Amino acid sequence: MSLRDQFAKTQAYLAERFPVEKMNYASMVEKKEVPVHRLSWGYYMGGLALFFFIMQLVTGLLLLFYYQPTVSDAHASVEYITNHVPGGALIRNLHAWGSSLMIATVLVHLLTAFAMKAFGKPREVTWLTGVALLGIVFAFGFTGYLLPWHQIAVNATKVGLQSIEMVGQYLPGALARWPTAIKEAIQGEATVGQATLSRFFAIHVIVLPLTVFAVLAGHLISVQLHGMSRGVDDPPKRMEKFFPTFFMKDLQVWGMAFMILFILGLCVPFESFSAYPLFEPFDPQGSTPDGIKPEWYFYFVYYPLELLPFWVILIGQHIAIAVLALTPWIFRNTSRRTLRVLAVAAALYLIVMTVFGETIYKLFKG
Amino acid sequence: MRAPLILIFSIIAATHVQAYSEFQKFVTANSGRPVNCAMCHANHDGPEGTAPGQIGRLTPAEQAELGRARAALEPGANINSPILNAFGNHIVNSLGKKKVLELRVAPAELAKLLPADGDLDGDGIPDAQEYLAGTNPLDKNDGDPWRLFQNNLKRNFTQILLTLAATVAGLYSLNHFLHGFAIATRSDDESEES
Amino acid sequence: MIDAFLFIGLPYVAIVTALVAGFTRARSNKYGLSARSSQFLEDRQLLWGSAPWHIGIGVVLLGHLVAVCLPGVWASLLTIPGALLAIETVGVAGSLLAIVGITVLIVRRVTSARVQAVTTTMDLVVVGLLLVQVILGLMSAISFRYGAAWSTGTVVPYFWSLVRLQPDMTYVVDFPMLFKLHIVGAWLIILALPFTRLMHVLYVPLGYIFRAPQLVIWSTTRRRQQAVAAQAQAESRREFIKGAAGAAVAAGLLALGISEKLFSFFKGPRPDLEADSALLAKKLQRLQQTAEERELELERQRKEMILIGRYAELTENKGKYFTDYRMAPGLAFKGKDGLPLLISAKCTHLGCTVGSEMDNQGRILCPCHISYFNVQTGEPNAGSPAKAPLAHLAWALVDGDGKVVVSQVPGQPAQGQPNPTVLAQCNLYITKPGLA
Repeated sequence: MSLRDQFAKTQAYLAERFPVEKMNYASMVEKKEVPVHRLSWGYYMGGLALFFFIMQLVTGLLLLFYYQPTVSDAHASVEYITNHVPGGALIRNLHAWGSSLMIATVLVHLLTAFAMKAFGKPREVTWLTGVALLGIVFAFGFTGYLLPWHQIAVNATKVGLQSIEMVGQYLPGALARWPTAIKEAIQGEATVGQATLSRFFAIHVIVLPLTVFAVLAGHLISVQLHGMSRGVDDPPKRMEKFFPTFFMKDLQVWGMAFMILFILGLCVPFESFSAYPLFEPFDPQGSTPDGIKPEWYFYFVYYPLELLPFWVILIGQHIAIAVLALTPWIFRNTSRRTLRVLAVAAALYLIVMTVFGETIYKLFKG
Repeated sequence: MRAPLILIFSIIAATHVQAYSEFQKFVTANSGRPVNCAMCHANHDGPEGTAPGQIGRLTPAEQAELGRARAALEPGANINSPILNAFGNHIVNSLGKKKVLELRVAPAELAKLLPADGDLDGDGIPDAQEYLAGTNPLDKNDGDPWRLFQNNLKRNFTQILLTLAATVAGLYSLNHFLHGFAIATRSDDESEES
Repeated sequence: MIDAFLFIGLPYVAIVTALVAGFTRARSNKYGLSARSSQFLEDRQLLWGSAPWHIGIGVVLLGHLVAVCLPGVWASLLTIPGALLAIETVGVAGSLLAIVGITVLIVRRVTSARVQAVTTTMDLVVVGLLLVQVILGLMSAISFRYGAAWSTGTVVPYFWSLVRLQPDMTYVVDFPMLFKLHIVGAWLIILALPFTRLMHVLYVPLGYIFRAPQLVIWSTTRRRQQAVAAQAQAESRREFIKGAAGAAVAAGLLALGISEKLFSFFKGPRPDLEADSALLAKKLQRLQQTAEERELELERQRKEMILIGRYAELTENKGKYFTDYRMAPGLAFKGKDGLPLLISAKCTHLGCTVGSEMDNQGRILCPCHISYFNVQTGEPNAGSPAKAPLAHLAWALVDGDGKVVVSQVPGQPAQGQPNPTVLAQCNLYITKPGLA
């Protein structure tokens, strides 16, 4: 093939993935239609994740007015917000619940997008930006968790970062020290301390939000240009107008989500689910309380890590991430029925490992 | 600085002070939540040591108060021991030190002897029940989540209702705005759509 | 006497007359029950008069009605901060609107020739009564502020006492003349109801709100085409009005609920003196703890040996916590040979602090993931999550003169003469690692 033909082919490929000719009112609003089928509920999940993210931005910004990112004052400032600032307890609780709801919604969104083959041609870029967003969202959770500087925050972060160090045992010779060096570079010092808190704060409040704005912008533009994918193999029997019908229903879902988040934030303190010693200020000179574990959205990795040899988890993780990133090409010819089965299987694994992980762990360890 | 502290510590250590781990073991086993000494004591690692809230760091005035508290064998003594928190002081004031020592063999009975309506943190869950459930009786954000939900729902019902009204009104308004906009921008060939 | 007539006699006369005469009129002259609209005669001024009048008086009367029918709910609603001010503002705005409207209506009725042709005396009486009543109401609201609140304890019980046929005018006799006139005016309006166009108050066209917009057109091709666009315009306008109404309610509730709280959030707490000093004391304590930690760090950077306690404090079964040269926790036991046994207390699994109680097998427990470490060797038990042993630490026993009596570096035998009597007076130090 001549260079000219190759160039034309590439251009056609990119033009299909970035349909800028659709960036007008008629295509994006007036004529856009959304298929109606029994999996149509999945179309709302992405918007719901966006809603929770906006809630996190707003509540996070309000918390930023009073939080102090130093090891001597972090815990006290969070206590100040909860007990003294008017409305502070609500804002803080909304932020805690919001993060869990956002991550849960993101996971459901991932599974439904996968099951509906929303990554199919020409939506590969949407999928790739989505995978990047998934990583960013988990990074948000991990960095944000350290900020209150209580026992479970610091110890769980130590545990999480230690898993990087454990890779060193599989590396030969001088390379074996690299994971430790990487871990200490992330921490900023030899142990989790002020340097770690400062940089996790910067990452959580500036670096990740800027990154997420950039990637999310690409993701949203791509979704809006391509429109909703068909979702099921049968040709759609009914279509509804995107504007105003689907858009209005999307907003109604946001309204319901807001009420649920609000009631939870107002009535159920997020920390009441765990034993109170875990939320005492971190005491480097004193004892570590029982029950240190990462947040629930890491259980699907944490409990297998405790049960299986490390190398199994290491390799499994890398395979999972590779499969996730290359899904549009690996599953290009897979039927939606098979994809649904895979999605259900993945969902079952996630749910069982998250809800029953501790029980399973106790079963095996006696 | 260190020598006087060590001296004081040795003197006090000689009087065989111990934290009462029977209560901690009972609560952890009964509730399934691992608790620590901070439920009743000022320091989460108990009264022994040189950290804040422990015996090794008391000023002479605080030691005098500690002595008074140790001698409060009968209820109603109104003590304020520096190694106990408000709940610990409440227990000694309501039951007397003698009863507390007796309860070491039957820690479950403590819940029955505490005043039934006492609720130091005002979260709606009585202190005796927070003791049995292993939640912090001095933190209104710590308690059995379901009960906290019910109590707070009742307390904040008006707020929730008003927020619901605002949300419903907002959605109603957006719904009609969008419809109006859609009708107004409709092109003539699709005018028959509702 | 006059009071008894005005506040007991007049009300009953008004109510009975309104009921009897109204009923009679409705039965005998159904088609005469009209608002006697003059819109066909003059509609320009009517718009600027009737709309503000009806909207304004509707809002005001709604407030009166809710207060009368649901005084308990009304009173508790007013406890929300800002609600009272909001309601009073809405009421005053409504009554101003009503006054503007009815003034335009009066001017219209008196100056327009066509309207004059159908005006009766009672029309003028009614419109004058209404104007006076609204002005009296507005002046009462401004002079005796927060009527929304005080009415639930005065006027509302008075009204219900009349309904229950146990009239109690003590609720209202002590009011200033201005307000008493307003009450009397209300009874007069009710009295006038069956004899005037005020009958139209009794039938409110609620159906208009829900029925679809209607266009009456001539059936020609051109007008039919125009009608399509006009219909769309009418429909979209209706949608926008509904949207605006919903937005107003939502914005009102939002403003009521959030604005004060948002302001307080940013203003920050203003705790009382006791709470303030408790907070400051806590901050001070935390600062002191941080200062102590930094002192410890400095000590470990500068000194070759650091004191951790007296030899006499050590026991075989319960370790004494100290901070080692790496700012990690350590435990000091008395070994079986009488010499100190110092071991790191930072669990080699995931860094938790290991417990200080030695069990009967000579092990200490890390509570996080249940690893047992043998104190003598530092080794974890088989199958424990921790794989690497806890390191032992170098120590030295120094006597009162500062001379090192015994010292040990892990992996090497103890150096020095362990004499029990001398040892009992010694202080225990940890020595900097990396030195011989």
